[in-house]
Amino acid sequence: MSTTAVRTAPGRRAPDAPAGEPGAGTGARAARGRRTGRVGPWLYLTPMLASLVVWVYGPLVFTGVLSFLDWDLTSDRRPFVGLDNYERLFGEPEFPQAIQRTLLYVVLMVPFATFVPLGLAIMLWKRPGRGSEIYRALLFLPVVLAPVATAVSWQFVLNPLQGVANATLGGLGLGSDRNWLGDPDTALPVVVAVTAAKIVALNMLLFGAALAGIDRRGIEAARVEGATEWEITRFVVWPQLRRTTVLLGFVCVVLAGQWVFTNVAVLTQGGPDGSTDNVYHRLYTYGFTFFDIGAASAAAVVIVLALTALFALRVLAARVTRRFARARPR
Amino acid sequence: MQATRTVATGTVAARIPAVPTTRARSRAGGAGGGGAVLARRSVLGLFGLAALTACGADGGGSGGGGGKTVTLDFLSYNYGTPDLGGQGTQKLIDAFHAANPDIRIRPQGVAVKDVLTKLRTDTAAGNPPDVAQIGWSKMAEAYANLPLVPVQDLVSPADWQAHVAGMSRGVLDAVRHDGKVKAMPYTMSIPVLFYNADLFRKAGLDPDRAPRTVAEIKDAALAVTRTGAQGVYFAVADAGKSDYLTQSVIASNGGTLLRPDGSPAVADPAAVGALTVLQDLTVSGAAPAVSANDAVAAFAGGKLAMIVLSTAALTNFEKAANGKFDLRTAGFPRFTDAPARPTYSGAGLAVLTKDKARQRAAWRFVAFLTGAQGFTVITRDMGYLPLRPALVTDPAHLADYFAQNKRLLPALDQLDAVTPYTFFPGRSANQAVLALQDEAVEPIVLRKADPARTLNEAASKIRSLASRS
Repeated sequence: MSTTAVRTAPGRRAPDAPAGEPGAGTGARAARGRRTGRVGPWLYLTPMLASLVVWVYGPLVFTGVLSFLDWDLTSDRRPFVGLDNYERLFGEPEFPQAIQRTLLYVVLMVPFATFVPLGLAIMLWKRPGRGSEIYRALLFLPVVLAPVATAVSWQFVLNPLQGVANATLGGLGLGSDRNWLGDPDTALPVVVAVTAAKIVALNMLLFGAALAGIDRRGIEAARVEGATEWEITRFVVWPQLRRTTVLLGFVCVVLAGQWVFTNVAVLTQGGPDGSTDNVYHRLYTYGFTFFDIGAASAAAVVIVLALTALFALRVLAARVTRRFARARPR
Repeated sequence: MQATRTVATGTVAARIPAVPTTRARSRAGGAGGGGAVLARRSVLGLFGLAALTACGADGGGSGGGGGKTVTLDFLSYNYGTPDLGGQGTQKLIDAFHAANPDIRIRPQGVAVKDVLTKLRTDTAAGNPPDVAQIGWSKMAEAYANLPLVPVQDLVSPADWQAHVAGMSRGVLDAVRHDGKVKAMPYTMSIPVLFYNADLFRKAGLDPDRAPRTVAEIKDAALAVTRTGAQGVYFAVADAGKSDYLTQSVIASNGGTLLRPDGSPAVADPAAVGALTVLQDLTVSGAAPAVSANDAVAAFAGGKLAMIVLSTAALTNFEKAANGKFDLRTAGFPRFTDAPARPTYSGAGLAVLTKDKARQRAAWRFVAFLTGAQGFTVITRDMGYLPLRPALVTDPAHLADYFAQNKRLLPALDQLDAVTPYTFFPGRSANQAVLALQDEAVEPIVLRKADPARTLNEAASKIRSLASRS
């Protein structure tokens, strides 16, 4: 943009010509051009920045303020309570337990966001054809279905008395009396599995896009050199997908808690005994079931701070990696 | 509300030519004519017209008094559902429209457990519905936190008495709060025992002798389970997050939710005993350890012999059983030698509009829904109780229905003995209900949690919530 601002008309001197030389009369115009060059980008950015301030950072600050108040959403009274909401948040067992379960969700979801779709994508990429296209389409189907509709469908499948899951297991002689969503031992893994079905499909598509950028000639060369399929995957394909894998893994760490929200809300409402609750569902519960807006805002602030720390760590790790890469002898 | 304004404005706009023209002509005639004067008055008339339109836009009509159409927003958890409750609500609205062409009802559906969330967020946004169907388990929090206008205050005492004259006195007394009926009893029900007579016969039981006590229910259920079907289910872990059935079993065991001093009594021996009895049903295998929704589906599918649930489920069960199994009902079972003391569930109609004209229209809507025609539809099509007992024998209303359908009679027999619904105190009443249901009742009944310890913890939490208020 600055290039455009200082461009001169044909036949004229460059705007930075010394005074007294031909074209020096255009100095003021040049200075104005430089000013425009500095201001211009900000003008272009203003709508986006205004939107961010109004819709993101403004509400964020407002949420921070609300976290110091005792408010029930409808009352005119909003007394200042200092850090009471934060003390209550960590003084009662629900929120700390929700943090632990959010971390558990992340740990369980990461393989489904990275290695499983990676394996499927490579498998389909290596065997192109009509069959793999159909298989890919079938795998991708859950992504385009409405999340709540999908969750309700899973309710029918997992119904302990009449569901397909127990009927199938019963037919195989593996027992037909499991209450998948009502048992604290199975509810969380089931929520992860139901969510994973969607994430695997989506990330498989993203890995497929990354694989499309790989030059197949290198693979052919490796094959000519006698490399096995595993060696080709391990030493030729995987290194080229490492950055995509790291990115999708990081996205999973940040968003896994939100991905499971719909399934938690529809299938278990955080139960049984809070075994599927996570920080996002707890925040929703504080805010829109208990109408404890102070606690909900405090929870939101804690989540934002945790995610900010995570991003800071990611940036720090990237810098350290780059520094070591530069320092390494070539 | 935006659409409300549009509708109202449109209605006024349709009348626009008549209003200023008449006034302008009259004034012009009175002044003796004159082109300039006429033009000036026409301009004034236009301003008046614009002001009228603006009034229409803001007020949404005059409320059934000025000949304009009023559109009322009606929040209902029955509306829009695919079951008979949804169809019945639509039928009520259609009948009201036919009888009251000057009032339009714009219904909004909402999940039963989200009623308070929707009402509070709409109120916070300055846009509450005019009339709302609110479940009794959520009513205490609605009284404390929502701008409800007591229905009893909407009309003169004489009109109020005239309207409630034929209604069940027991129910009206039970729902009175601070000496006043603030929400009109609407879709009310009490829990009964539904049972599958075919499964009884298969188990060698006599379906004409329905179990009357919990002990008899357990025996019958164990007999049924030996045939491969499921036995019984008490839907205390309610999917709609209501504690009406919890209150019913505790009251029937001689307990209560609150002591006279307002402190929670959920850990008292009677309450612990009631939930221990229900836990025993699960532990013994007489009851499946599943959610209420799963149990309802199993009963409708003919795989569960008995379920203790609100009569609101009747029409759906009748539809499911039609041609498949012999559906019967019996009164709420006794827990002791004393008669059962079920409390009611369901909802009342609350009015939230502040505008006087809209309040008048809202009262007409509420009065229609809780009048003879309203309760006829509510009972016949939705399965809730007719809160006007005379309708049961009235040939113009429900006499033929009750002549053919005896399934609501056990509930009607217990209607006069209904126990008032108990509200937890304070603005966190709903949170206290959730604490009781999710953290005590469900773990005890479905997951074998220790009743005394779990109820003690729940009582402690409920006390803490009350003290925060």
